[in-house]
Amino acid sequence: MMWSVITRKELKDALRDRRALAGMLLFPVMGPLMIYFMFNSIIDIAEEAGDITLPVVGQDYAHDLVDYLDQNGINILPLSIETPDEPDQAFYNAGQLAEVRTLIRSRQYDYVLVIPPDFDSLIGASRRSNIELHLESTRTKAAPQTARISSLIDSWGRETASLRLLARGISPQLVSPVTVVSIDIASQQSRVQRLLGMVPFFVLMAAFVCGMGVAVDVTAGERERKSLEPLLVNPVPRSTIVIGKWLAAVTFSATGLILVLVLNFFSLSRIPLEEVGIVFNIGTLQLTGILLTILPMSLLAPAIQIFIGIFARSFKDAQGYLSFVMLLPMIPFFYNMFNTQDRAFWMNFVPMLGQHMLLNDVVRGEAPGITDFVVAGVSLFIYSMFFVYAASRLIRKERIIFS
Amino acid sequence: MIEVTSISKGFRNIQAVDNASFTVRDGAITGLLGHNGAGKTTTLRILYGLLKADSGSALIDGVNVLENPLMAQEIIGVMTDAHGLNPRLTAREHIKYFARLRGMPASLIRQRISTFVETLDMAEIIDRRAEGFSQGEKMKVCLARSLVHDPRNLIMDEPTNGLDVMTTRSVRSMLQSLKKDNKCILLSSHIMQEISALCDEVVVIAEGRVLMQGSLDDLARLTGESDLEEAFMAVTKSG
Repeated sequence: MMWSVITRKELKDALRDRRALAGMLLFPVMGPLMIYFMFNSIIDIAEEAGDITLPVVGQDYAHDLVDYLDQNGINILPLSIETPDEPDQAFYNAGQLAEVRTLIRSRQYDYVLVIPPDFDSLIGASRRSNIELHLESTRTKAAPQTARISSLIDSWGRETASLRLLARGISPQLVSPVTVVSIDIASQQSRVQRLLGMVPFFVLMAAFVCGMGVAVDVTAGERERKSLEPLLVNPVPRSTIVIGKWLAAVTFSATGLILVLVLNFFSLSRIPLEEVGIVFNIGTLQLTGILLTILPMSLLAPAIQIFIGIFARSFKDAQGYLSFVMLLPMIPFFYNMFNTQDRAFWMNFVPMLGQHMLLNDVVRGEAPGITDFVVAGVSLFIYSMFFVYAASRLIRKERIIFS
Repeated sequence: MIEVTSISKGFRNIQAVDNASFTVRDGAITGLLGHNGAGKTTTLRILYGLLKADSGSALIDGVNVLENPLMAQEIIGVMTDAHGLNPRLTAREHIKYFARLRGMPASLIRQRISTFVETLDMAEIIDRRAEGFSQGEKMKVCLARSLVHDPRNLIMDEPTNGLDVMTTRSVRSMLQSLKKDNKCILLSSHIMQEISALCDEVVVIAEGRVLMQGSLDDLARLTGESDLEEAFMAVTKSG
């Protein structure tokens, strides 16, 4: 086959281009590394949020409250700072509070709960007492923990109030007609799931990034080197030449894409996803399914790039145009981020969006429908053929060959 | 044999070739002579099938280039105006690439390359990458890849332009031996010495029109000038 002569020559040439090769390899390696570190840091934060240790000054002054916190999974850490000079003192003096602040500023603790000595006696007398949670609000990592502590203390307060009212024969509903119940679903699990949604994005990007260097070199590069005209005097149909060059770029694109896929799944398999309650077991079967879903992307991306590469006047020109093309895989990603609509059948016909949907299904552990799968794949193939055809029309133009 | 009959080719605001007719014989070297911008390159591009003439016909061994460019390209060897090489491929790989595009078997390719190594003195560069090749070394590669399929007809756009004396001589002797093999050779040039040293026939072209075709003696007789350069000036002025 004549196209294979061209493909083999272009591949040989591309493999000798060390810089382009390094550029191609950098992307597949970067993505999975980033994902690995991002996941791990999220899981670390999640672990810390689930396990709160609360330093308490004066825990003996509020037995009931401290028990309540303890029952709700807060580890109480008794802090002994210098005891008040007079045993009956109702408040801590300035020096003792300064000591607490130093503990926080020196980052020994992120927050400290300070219970006044007269707490139990005031509560017992159905009166009101202040309790101080000292914290440094710029430490965002501690924010979910202090929020949890405050809300636990609040709910203890509400329970105490209800008991007081009941003791006087008044229904607690009388004084609190409305209760807001916030149900926080932004757990670390959903955050991890959002990150999982980035995997398809990386893989789709790979189709564009990894074949681009070759696609530009065999088209705009060929024109710039002035080697296009000598090539075209050989008795080979223009369509054969374009197909040969396209397949060389496809080889690079597909290789990069497979590399990204394999590395991503390797790095995902090394992340303790089960610690945040996500079951991630993608076997060979699913991996094959994903591969078949996105591999057609390696046909389309180089087809677009070859078309633009022929159209461009020079290497630089082509890279300018193609940086816009690089934005294409981001469109479905952002569309999905803001999309409130359910998945619709027409989305299968939209290149990249269809693949993105299918990939999301697989990554979330759902099996995509066979119709969606086939329709998305076949339409990508048709779009690729369109661009290859357009490119082989373009390379017939006199102004393309001779300028 | 190449027969050109009243071909014309216009670009947006210029008539590059205007009703040009001439014939290129087998077993002779014909020079297409003209100033820069006279229409030499456009004429050659029409002959090797990369430009479509607006009218007229060009036959190469009876094959009409305008109707059947691929078939015509089978039987010609072309050295284009552009001499681009790929810096990461060796001289041998360049020649092999074009030979394979013409469907030649590997054994024949090897045999042809060893012939070129000898006749064009390419032993030193044959397995070197084209990056850093001198103008002469580049031209040798271009010449070899355009001759690799041993074509009956040869079209060359300024084949010795910018070459040193040594390389020019080896190109000339190669062309002379191709002529002895009864090949049909058409080359363009704007350099008088080149034409007088190589060509049996000249086709003088100016502003896209063929002013005369004949032997070098014909050119001198027609103008009454013994000096070729003066003769050329006389022809192009009167045209």
